[in-house]
Amino acid sequence: MTTAPAAAASDSDSDFDGPNPTTGITKKGLSAGSIGLIGATVVGISCIAPAYTLTAAIGPTADAVGTQIPGIFLVGFIPMLLVALGYRELNNSMPDSGTSFTWATRAFGPWVGWMGGWGLIVATVVVLSNLAGVAVDFFYLMLSQVFQTPAIADLAFNVPINILTCLAFMAGACYIAYRGMSATKSVQYVLVAFQLIVLVWFSIAALAHVANGTAFDALAFDANWFNPFAVPDFSAFAAGVSLSIFIFWGWDVTLTMNEETMNPKKTPGRAATLTVGVIFALYLLITVAILMYSGTGGGEFGLGNADIQGNVFAAIAGPIMGPFAILMSLAVLSSSASSLQSTFVGPARTMLAMGQYQAFPKRFGSISPRFKSPGYATVVAAVVAWGFYAVMRTLSTDVLTDTILTLGMMICFYYGVTAFACVWYFRAQAFSSLRAFLFKFLSPLVGGVILTVIFATTIIDSMSPDYGSGSNIGGLGLVFILGMVLLLGGVVLMLLMYRANPAFFRNQTLKTGSSLDDA
Amino acid sequence: MNNRIANYVVAYEATERGRDAIELGVALARLTGAELRLCIVFPTPTAVPADEMAGGADFESLLVDQAELWLAEAASFVPADLISTTHTIWADSTFEGLIDAATEFLSSRIIVGAGRGGILNRYTIGSVANSLLHASPVPVGLAPHGFRAEGPISRITCAVGTGLGWPELLESTTVLMEGLTVDLRFVTLVEIDTVWDPSGLAAQITAGEAHLAEVHSYFTSVSDAAVPVTTAVAIGATFEAATESLDWQELEIVVVGSSRLASPGKVFIGATASRMLDSLPVPLIIVPVEGLI
Repeated sequence: MTTAPAAAASDSDSDFDGPNPTTGITKKGLSAGSIGLIGATVVGISCIAPAYTLTAAIGPTADAVGTQIPGIFLVGFIPMLLVALGYRELNNSMPDSGTSFTWATRAFGPWVGWMGGWGLIVATVVVLSNLAGVAVDFFYLMLSQVFQTPAIADLAFNVPINILTCLAFMAGACYIAYRGMSATKSVQYVLVAFQLIVLVWFSIAALAHVANGTAFDALAFDANWFNPFAVPDFSAFAAGVSLSIFIFWGWDVTLTMNEETMNPKKTPGRAATLTVGVIFALYLLITVAILMYSGTGGGEFGLGNADIQGNVFAAIAGPIMGPFAILMSLAVLSSSASSLQSTFVGPARTMLAMGQYQAFPKRFGSISPRFKSPGYATVVAAVVAWGFYAVMRTLSTDVLTDTILTLGMMICFYYGVTAFACVWYFRAQAFSSLRAFLFKFLSPLVGGVILTVIFATTIIDSMSPDYGSGSNIGGLGLVFILGMVLLLGGVVLMLLMYRANPAFFRNQTLKTGSSLDDA
Repeated sequence: MNNRIANYVVAYEATERGRDAIELGVALARLTGAELRLCIVFPTPTAVPADEMAGGADFESLLVDQAELWLAEAASFVPADLISTTHTIWADSTFEGLIDAATEFLSSRIIVGAGRGGILNRYTIGSVANSLLHASPVPVGLAPHGFRAEGPISRITCAVGTGLGWPELLESTTVLMEGLTVDLRFVTLVEIDTVWDPSGLAAQITAGEAHLAEVHSYFTSVSDAAVPVTTAVAIGATFEAATESLDWQELEIVVVGSSRLASPGKVFIGATASRMLDSLPVPLIIVPVEGLI
C-alpha cells in the first residue's frame, strides 16, 4: 500500500485493528509466484500469435527466399535471441514503461532515445493496421463459410467496405484497451490451445493431400530447405531475416517475466525455451507442409502468387481443410483480434512515458481517471493506425505484404537501437564477469550489428520498384517510401517537439548516463 | 470493538463522481465522527499479453505516481477538522478492491459516487456502485451527482416497507441514531393508480399510516434518542413519483434495508429501493441483511 505522503500526515494515530495496514491488498504488480511453466509458455505463444503471424508472413518470406523458408526461420531467431538477452538486462536494471525510448535516452541522450521510441511506436502502429487488415479478411471469409456464400468473402476486396470494417475492429479493440480490460487467463489458454490444434490439423491435412496425390502443386521434401545459406543472394537473405524477426516478435516477453513466476530463477528461462521449441516445431511443420502442398509457383494456391501472399491461410485453408476451413478462419480471427487489443498496450504506454518525460505533448501523459489506462495515447494509436491502414489500402492492392515488410524494417530499427543502448549503457560492466560480458555486451552487440546490416540492406533493396508487392511511386518501391516517410516523419516531429518544448532535449527530464550512475 | 473509531472507505477517482463520494464521506464523518479512508483502486496487472506486450515495463510505477497526485487532491477536499488517510489499492476490479479495503480496515461503510450526469442531480448508477449495491458486506453510501456537504446533515429518513425485514432496519437505525440530534423521519412508499382505483387509495393510505405508527412506536420502545420523529406516507402512480412527492431537505440522507433476496450479511438492493433511487435527490445508505449501519 502506498500512502500519499502529503495527505497522510493524519494517518499515524488512527486506529487500525488489522495487524498491518500496509500488507495484503495493495501489492503492486502481479502476485508473486502465480505463473508456472505452462502459464508462462502460454503467455509467450499468445504474444507471438502464431496463426496470425504465419498467415501474414509466410507469403512475403516465400517471395524473398523461395523454398528456404524453414532455414530462414531458424536463422532469423538468432538476432531476436541476442537482442532479447540484452533487453532483459535493461528491463531488470531500469524497468520503465517507456522501454526502448527510456533506455536509448539514458544511453545515447534524448535525440537517439526519441527516435528509438518513435521506431517502437511506428512498428506497433503498423502491426496494428496489419492485424486489423488480416482480421477484416478473415471476418468476411468466415461469414462466407458460415452462410456458404462465396460472394461474401469478396466484400473484403471492396475498398470502402474494407476500410470501414477495419475502423469498426479498430474502434472495438481501442475501446477494450481504453477500458483497461484484458483477456483472462482461461480465455487465453483456450485461444492458444485452439490455435495450436487448428494449425497442426491444417498441416496434417496438407500432408495428407500430398500423400494422396491431391496436392495443388506437390513439391518433394528436401532437407536442403533447412539450409539458410542456400538462399540465392544476400538481399533475399536480409529480407527473410527481417521477416523472421517479425514472426518471433513477442517471444521476448517470456524472458522478462520474473517475480510473477513460481520459480524466478528457472521458470522464465525454461518457459522461453519451451515457447521457442513449440513455436519452432509448429513453424517448421507448417512451412514444410505448405511448401509440399502449394509449391512456390505463381498458380492459384502457389506461394509465389502475389495475390495470396499477404494472407496465405485465407486462400489455401479452403482447399486443404475442406469444410473445416472455418476453424482456420476462427483461429486466425481470434488470434488477430486478441493481438489487436493487446498490441494497443505497447505504443500507448511508450507514448504515455514520452508524454510524462515531455518528449511528447503533455496530453499523451494523461491517465484516464476512470479506467486508469493511458487514455489519450490509446485513442491516438487507434486513429493513426486506422488512418495508416486507410491510406495504404487505397494506395496498394497488396497492402498486407508491404506493411509486413515495412514492419520488419521498423522492428530492425528499434531493436537495433535498443541493443546498442544496452551495450553502451552497461559499458562499464562489460568485462566485469563472464555473464556480464555475454549478456550485457556480446549478445546485444552482435544482435545489434546483425540488425543494422539487415536494416541497411532492406533500405537499399526496397528502393527497387520490384521489391515486395511491386507497388511503387515514381519508380521507388513502396516499402522504401513508407519506411522513409515513417522515419523522416519522426525526425520532423522530433524537431517540432524540440521547438515546442525543449526541456526533454536538454536532458532536463531524463538524464543520460550509464549503469555506473545507478550503482 | 466499541472503542475503535469507525471509518468509512471512500471510493475515489479523479472525476466528479469521486468528488461526490468524498463530499458524502465528509457529511457522514461529521455526523458520526468517523475517519475517512480515501481509496483509489488500480487493476492488478495480469499475465496476459495486454500487460506483457510492453515487455514487463514498469507502467505500474507511473500509475503509483499518478495515484499520489490524485490522492493528494482527494485529501485536499476533506476539511482539516476531519481525519482522513489515503490508499492506493491493487485489485482485479474496483469493486473487489473496495471490498478488500473495507475488510482490511474493518470499515463500517463504503461510500461511492453514484454515477455521472443523469437528469437533475439524480442517480445513474455506475457499474461499481451497481456491484456494491448487490454484494457489499458493509453498508453502502451512494452520493447523487453533484452532491456537496455544505453543512451538517439535517434529517435522516428511514424508508420502511411493510415486509418482514423492517424491525431489522429499525435496529440499525437505532444504532445510527445513538447520540445524534438530527431529525428522523419514517416514510413508506405507496404505489397506486389513482385514476383507475380511486377507492383503493384511502385504504392504502390508512394501511400505510398504521404501519408507520407501528414502526414509530417500536422505535420509541427500543431507542432512547430524544429526537423529533415524523412520519409520511408517500403516494404516487409509481414509486418514482411517490418519492418525488415527498419533501426533501438539502442535506438529508435516506436509509433503506436490503431485499430479502440478499444473502446474510450482504447488501442487495430491492426493487422498490432501486426504483426510489431513480428519482431520489439526496444520498442513500443501504444496509445489509443482518447488518448494522
